[in-house]
This record gives sequence, structure tokens and C-alpha cells, in this order.
Amino acid sequence: MNAAREASLVIGLGQPDRGDDAVGPVVAARLRDLVGDSVVVLTREDPTALVQTWDGYRVAVVIDSVLTGAEPGTLTIRQAGAAAEPLPTHAFTAAGRGGSHAFGVAGAVELSRTLGTLPEQLAIVGVEAASFDHGPMTDPVIAAIDDAVATVVATLARGISALTESEAGSCA
Amino acid sequence: MTHQLKDGGQVLNVGMLARVEGEGGMHIEIKDRQVVDVKLNIFEPPRFYEGFLRGRKYTEPPDITARICGICPVAYQSASTEAMETICRIETTPEIQLMRRLLYCGEWIESHALHIFMLHAPDFLGYESVLEMAKDYPDVVQMALRLKKAGNDLMELVGGRAIHPVNVKVGGFYRMPTVAELEALRPDLARGVEDSLAAVELVAGFDFPDMEQDYTYVSLRHPDWYPLERGTEIVATSGVRFPVAEIPQHIEEFHVEHSNALHARFDGATYFVGPLARYSLNFDQLTPRCQEAAVKAELGETCRNPFKSIIVRTIELAYAFEEAVRIIDQWRDGHPPSVPVAPRAGEGVGASEAPRGTIWHRYRIDDDGVIQDAQIVPPTSQNQASIEADLRLAAQQWVDLDDHSLTHRCEEAIRNYDPCISCATHFLDLRVVRDGAGKPADAGAGS
Repeated sequence: MNAAREASLVIGLGQPDRGDDAVGPVVAARLRDLVGDSVVVLTREDPTALVQTWDGYRVAVVIDSVLTGAEPGTLTIRQAGAAAEPLPTHAFTAAGRGGSHAFGVAGAVELSRTLGTLPEQLAIVGVEAASFDHGPMTDPVIAAIDDAVATVVATLARGISALTESEAGSCA
Repeated sequence: MTHQLKDGGQVLNVGMLARVEGEGGMHIEIKDRQVVDVKLNIFEPPRFYEGFLRGRKYTEPPDITARICGICPVAYQSASTEAMETICRIETTPEIQLMRRLLYCGEWIESHALHIFMLHAPDFLGYESVLEMAKDYPDVVQMALRLKKAGNDLMELVGGRAIHPVNVKVGGFYRMPTVAELEALRPDLARGVEDSLAAVELVAGFDFPDMEQDYTYVSLRHPDWYPLERGTEIVATSGVRFPVAEIPQHIEEFHVEHSNALHARFDGATYFVGPLARYSLNFDQLTPRCQEAAVKAELGETCRNPFKSIIVRTIELAYAFEEAVRIIDQWRDGHPPSVPVAPRAGEGVGASEAPRGTIWHRYRIDDDGVIQDAQIVPPTSQNQASIEADLRLAAQQWVDLDDHSLTHRCEEAIRNYDPCISCATHFLDLRVVRDGAGKPADAGAGS
């Protein structure tokens, strides 16, 4: 087991100057001040970079802005790790969703699953966005940041616990 | 989805063309087995960049126009900085030009690696997406991700960010990377040369449809190297050549009813910009290893088959890696990152070779450096007519295929261009209308 495998990972995904898309990097920056050395906190703008970024980690949480039709600022958690149900492929092929040339988070997750590089415990924490226009985040998303930070920490802790329980179970 | 029309014709709707950037629509009408109408409908609303650049300072276009596109922002930055420096009669240093070229290599690597392996290769290998392709070709996909990461890393170092770089300004850069920082990237870039040259052999082995086009190829040309970040003149397969400053005298933009992106004519005719044009007009400027790879791929010095653009793009990918290594090897610390640029009233043009073709900007500024007029002409806009020409030929050539197969072949013809509809203006809805003796659709197609 290498050092990377022993650490947990948080990735703040998004572009800092595109309205609510900044919420991922903003939450990641807040987390850096809160978590210890055992958690690696990174930011990424390009979803294709996720496939290699989380390779080698056993527990990872991605925080990203999402559009589900919920009220802006609503938090959602989607389990996407190796044992989770595959994400819908339309989220991968739909043009313009999530990243340049239609390659979004779902694409990165499913490509990693195929290549065998998906963390055992991976969760996508989504913050419902209202605007991706150039400029600052909208008020509902700014108001959700504290909850988003707490949710990422709790999700990460659950991922580590699940991994520990599964290892304990396999030893029993 | 297939619709039967009252007059016996048929409309086939493809909900979405995957693996392109942006949204648009395509209408193909067939009567008595003859293609009678083809339209590329770009219905994404106009984005008004040219409008809101007016009244802004001459220093702002590199940052503003870079936001037009997430995959080719450097192309916009290069064209806009060149235009402003031309107007202000400023020559930057050779080192600034070299660093601009290195940044541009990063963009080519990012964009070409993504399109070649993850968007285009599935067409030739018979997969709906790279997701399915990865099950059978995991090594190829891993390599693609590795190559793209090398491009992202280069963009991040030189440009300050992997997407929408922030380190570019009129007159140069805010900060130059150090030798030590660049050396850290060199091993991955050197490996990229070998990986991409090997990939040329892979893609050259694909099965290519027999289809050639004779429209005019147009590209930048530079006396010393293959065109990326700039050129000294425009050259065309028609024999025409002229300085970059004269582009507006030869390229005329015009509106067509079915597209929110302006079409363009080159000396009054349909033309083509992009890898095929660049390669065919600048083969002599490629490195010996890239030329050798082209010869082994049986490509010839001119390529007229749009489907073989994947081979050309892979050769260009190898070239970009080679250039990046070359520039890093000769880089020394201590060069000023920029030169001062004072405003001066005038008008000027800047052009660069975006991954998908020539892009040019024209600006007019006043004595205070306030932008009075702006014109931005991206490659996908210029290629709309040639895309329609390819689609017409492809649809006619394969008119007897069932609707599902015909639709797929037409989508491939579009992806040959790696179109960036977001640049021109997302979603592509393909419609085939059949009438008369056209074969009935036996399968609806959708995504």
C-alpha cells in the first residue's frame, strides 16, 4: 500500500470565475484549513483530469456544482465508488454538460470504473447552482457553503468508516 | 426518432450529436435518392462578445476572449495580443514569442489528445463512446489520459490555469516559468513524443471511407516553423498568399438564415481551415520525425480525405510534444516576462492556428486604447460551409444506407472537424428528410 492509498482525497471541481461553478474550489479552500495532513485537498477545472487524480486513493469526495432542478443551494450526495451503481450514461454523452466536449463528472466516474481506477469509496457532493455566468456566486450558493463544507467532511468520514468496516468484515 | 411526412418524405431526428463541443442542428433532405438540401443549423444564441468588447481597454481582450472557449482559450489570447501589439507597433522579445508557442503547444496537446482518442477514435473502432472503447482498449485510453494530462500540466504552469489561462497579457506574460519548473514537466512531454508517434501508426490502421474534397485549404504560414501561435502570412491551395494584415480583404463574413454563427467566404468561395489545411500547406515545416511518421502512415504531403484528419491531428500532436521539449531544452531563466505597450490609435489584425483551424481577430482602438470596433472569426464559423459540403457528399455517397447508419456516417463527417459550436455559438439535432425513392428508415436513431 503506497502513501497515496493511505490518504483520503477531496477534489473541488469547477471554474472559479464562472458564477456558482466556483463552489467546488471555494469549499476545497475552506477544507484545507480544517483537515489534517491525512486528507489531500485539490482543485481541478477539467473533469477529464479526475480519472488520474483519484487513481490510487481508496476514499475520495468530489464537491461540484450541479443542476438537478432543485432549489439553488440544495445539497445532494451521490455514491459513485467501485461498488456503487453506475451513473447514467446520458450524463456522459450529453453535449455541453459538465465539461468541454461533453466530458463531465459522470464520464470520468464511468471511465475510471472501466479502467479499474475508481476509488472504493467515492461520493459526489453536489451544490445546486443557479448561474454559471461570469462573475461571483449567487446568494443561495454562498449561503450553502458552510453546510457544504460540513457535508463533505461528514461524507469523507462515512467513506473512511465504510472502508474500515469492510476491511474488518473481511478479516472476520 | 423518425417522422413520416405528408408528402411521403421522412424526417429523422437524432436527439443529440455526442462528442462535439456545443449545440446545433443539421437538416438533410433527400428526394428520389438525391440529396437536395443540407443545412448546419447553429441555433445557440449569439454571445455578443464583439459587442461588449467595444468600450473596453485594449489590454482586456486576452482575458475576455479567452472565456469564449474552454478548449481553445490560448488561440483567442494569441490572436488578440498579436492584434493589439500590431496596432501599438510593439515587437515583443523572441523569448516571449517562444513562451507563447510553448503555451500554445499545451493547448494543442490538451485539445488534440481529447479529440483523437476520446471523441473521434470510437467512430473508427465501432464504439458509441470512449467509455465502451475503454473496455477493449484500456491501454489506448490510459495513454490518452496521460497525454492530455501532460498538456494540462503545461497549460497550468505557463498559463496559470489548465483552462482559461490567466498569465497572458498584451506585451507578454505576468510571470515566466523557471527552468526548474519546466524541467519537471519534461519527462512526461518527452514520453508524449514517443506515445503520440506510436499512436500515428495506430490511427493510420483505421478503416477510412473513400471520400475526397477539393475546396480551398487556407492556413497561416511562418518561414521558420509549423504555424501555431502566429504566422507571417496566409497561404491557400489556390496559390493566393498575403500578409495577416490583409485577411479582412479576403475573408468576408455573411449571415445565413439557418445559423446564428456567421458563415464566411475566402475570395468569394467556400474554404477550409484546420489540421488538413495546415498540414497540406506546411508539410515542409514539420519535424523530420513527424514527416517520417506521415510517410509511414501513407498520408502524402497533401491530404484531401476529411476522415483522415485523425491521422493528421495525431501527427500534429506529436509535433506539439516535440516543440514543447525543444523549447524547454533551450529555455534560460531571467528573461523579462513582458514589454510595455502604450496605446496608439489604429486598426490591426492578429491570427493564430487554433487546434481546429485559423482564428483571427481585428480591432480598432482610439488614442486612449479604448476599443472602437472588434471582429472575432473562429475556425468553426469559417468551416460551416465546408461541413455542409462534406455532409452533402457523405449523405449522397451513402444514400442507400438505412437511416440509422446514414445518420451515424454523417455524424462522423461532422466530428472530422472537431467542431467547436460553442466558439461559433451547443446540441446538434440531425434531421434527414427522405422523399420519393429514398429507402424507408428501419431504425430510429437517438442518443
